Amino acid sequence: MTTLQQHLEPTPLPPTIRANRVGSGDPLYAEILDFLIDEAELLDNVELTAWSELLTKDIEYNVPLRMTKPFRQSDGTVIRTVQHMHDNYGSLLLRVKRITDTRSAWGEDPPSRTRRLVSNLRVFKTDKPNEYKVLSYLLIARSRFDFDYFDLIPCERHDVIRREGPSLQLARREVIVDQTVIGTPNLGIFL
Amino acid sequence: MNTRTGPRLSDGTYLSDLINLETREVKMRTLSDTEVYNLEMERIFAKTWVFLGHETEIPNSGDFMQRDMGSDSVLVTRDKSGAVNVVLNVCPHRGMKVSTLDSGNTQAHLCIYHGWAFRPNGDFIGAPVEKECMHGKILTKEQLGLKKARVALYGGLIFATWNVDGPSFDDFLGDAKWYYDTLWCRTTKGMEVLGPPQRFVIRANWKTASEQGASDGFHVLTLHRWLAEVGPYSKKPGAEGSGGDLTPEMYGVEVWTDHGHTMRCIDLDRKIRRLTGKDPAVLTVEEKLTVLPPPGLTAEMVPDLFKNLSKEQLGIMASAPPQVGNFFPNGLFEFIYLPQADGKVVGAMALHAYVPMGPDKLMFMNWILAEKDTPPELKAQMLRISCQLLGTSGMVEQDDSDTWPHQTIVSKGAMGKNITLKYQAKYETGKPEGWPGPGHVGSGFTKDDTNWSFWQYWYDLMTVEK
Repeated sequence: MTTLQQHLEPTPLPPTIRANRVGSGDPLYAEILDFLIDEAELLDNVELTAWSELLTKDIEYNVPLRMTKPFRQSDGTVIRTVQHMHDNYGSLLLRVKRITDTRSAWGEDPPSRTRRLVSNLRVFKTDKPNEYKVLSYLLIARSRFDFDYFDLIPCERHDVIRREGPSLQLARREVIVDQTVIGTPNLGIFL
Repeated sequence: MNTRTGPRLSDGTYLSDLINLETREVKMRTLSDTEVYNLEMERIFAKTWVFLGHETEIPNSGDFMQRDMGSDSVLVTRDKSGAVNVVLNVCPHRGMKVSTLDSGNTQAHLCIYHGWAFRPNGDFIGAPVEKECMHGKILTKEQLGLKKARVALYGGLIFATWNVDGPSFDDFLGDAKWYYDTLWCRTTKGMEVLGPPQRFVIRANWKTASEQGASDGFHVLTLHRWLAEVGPYSKKPGAEGSGGDLTPEMYGVEVWTDHGHTMRCIDLDRKIRRLTGKDPAVLTVEEKLTVLPPPGLTAEMVPDLFKNLSKEQLGIMASAPPQVGNFFPNGLFEFIYLPQADGKVVGAMALHAYVPMGPDKLMFMNWILAEKDTPPELKAQMLRISCQLLGTSGMVEQDDSDTWPHQTIVSKGAMGKNITLKYQAKYETGKPEGWPGPGHVGSGFTKDDTNWSFWQYWYDLMTVEK
């Protein structure tokens, strides 16, 4: 990786260590599953201020670009320099405020009707006792206006979930979308 | 009314019936009609110069990327001599796409269907089992290369045209070049992309985006009102004007040309006054550029500008530089100054192409750039701000992407198709005193002349006698 790339790209995510897997029978797994399902409920109900309270102040939130590459160059299909979203706590809060505090966030006003289906959850311990690496699949069906089709946004989320006091918080999110050319007119919604 | 001219559509309508040159109106039918769209592909995208990308996306010999010139897929390649080539991505044997990849590196593009191979410059290398001569003996190998477009490089930007004997790229840019040099040719080392372009699809006609891109100022007041409510242009307590009012940002100079290239040169005086506490009139050009360097530049980089640009060009950069504008037909650029919470100003540099994908679909491509000399920390900051405000998730541009589909849908109505787009706010003043730049120039509050010049050139190309 070049020095410039290091500047442009977000902090690398902690590795997924398979030996540290937390199985689906573990109470921690159930707690994290509940966290993600409750998060999806807040986003689908456009309770964005409540959603923003789940974020840590040092969150990095990214949606890399995807590229069509041959099988043997599959590493090169995820681009983390220019991305679809390249956000931190301040910019995420501004996105929320744009919708809650103005009457001109036309891209999401009137809001989309969305349904976030969270599945294929995998939880891993990391080298920090209060942080978990969490992988999940997400399928969003997005409906705008009176359009008779849905924009579908299938993706895999690579999260870091941190225990802060009694509650869990989202400390990191990278969303790997499956399309090279995004099929919805904007990402005015959170993934 | 205009003289009835140009091609006729199947219901007897002349192309010239769709546009009123005197009252500056365009029928909305132009925004979804399939016949009009097909004519545009032949008369505009297969004829004029089309923006395809940036040289720094393909720095090495053999690098290539797949792009679109209107409805045609092309490969943009760099060959062993270092030259950039644009070739049609269609195998001349049986019509398979030669490459299905977004980008890569090869000295031999191998068609996966029957194995014909082509050099980066499109030359036919050969087919498998050379001695059996799969390509026959009717055509020579020289006749079997990939179709080659004519290429122009300008300030790192790659343009191409199928009109191999047509006007030069300089002719095409015309009066816009003097201004565009202040953007693309201002530093000695030039610019680079910070990564591949974002790409997403909007169910809208390419012209809904492109005519707005021709420096539409008025929409900012309403569609992007949030910018002044909670965004980067929101008013600090006690400042002039009320919250949500973007009116002060709409003053400046607008430039339009006979080939539909336009730009909005927005006044920097207020920003400079705020940063220095001084009347900008008492500051030199160098002082102004140093206190508020153009997007992507630091104060240390300002002396380099003086090596590359004329005194007159520098004068404009320091007072009313082009900040948004377009390349006809479907390119847009933004060189914007974004005030930050700490009082500093960070620039963003972005380029868009609105690629037509049928009468009611476009692909939005967004490149994010910086000067090669921009310090890495500033590049990183520019990249993040650009992604947050522009393109796929951009807080500014997501509002545009919801508008264009509705225009496209209503343009199909039996009544709606005859409603006209109106460009009737005209500049009544000419160039400001002492304005050194060429082209058609208006000054004061934004007007419609820039958008209208997009349509005038569209009309010229659509009705030209073959």
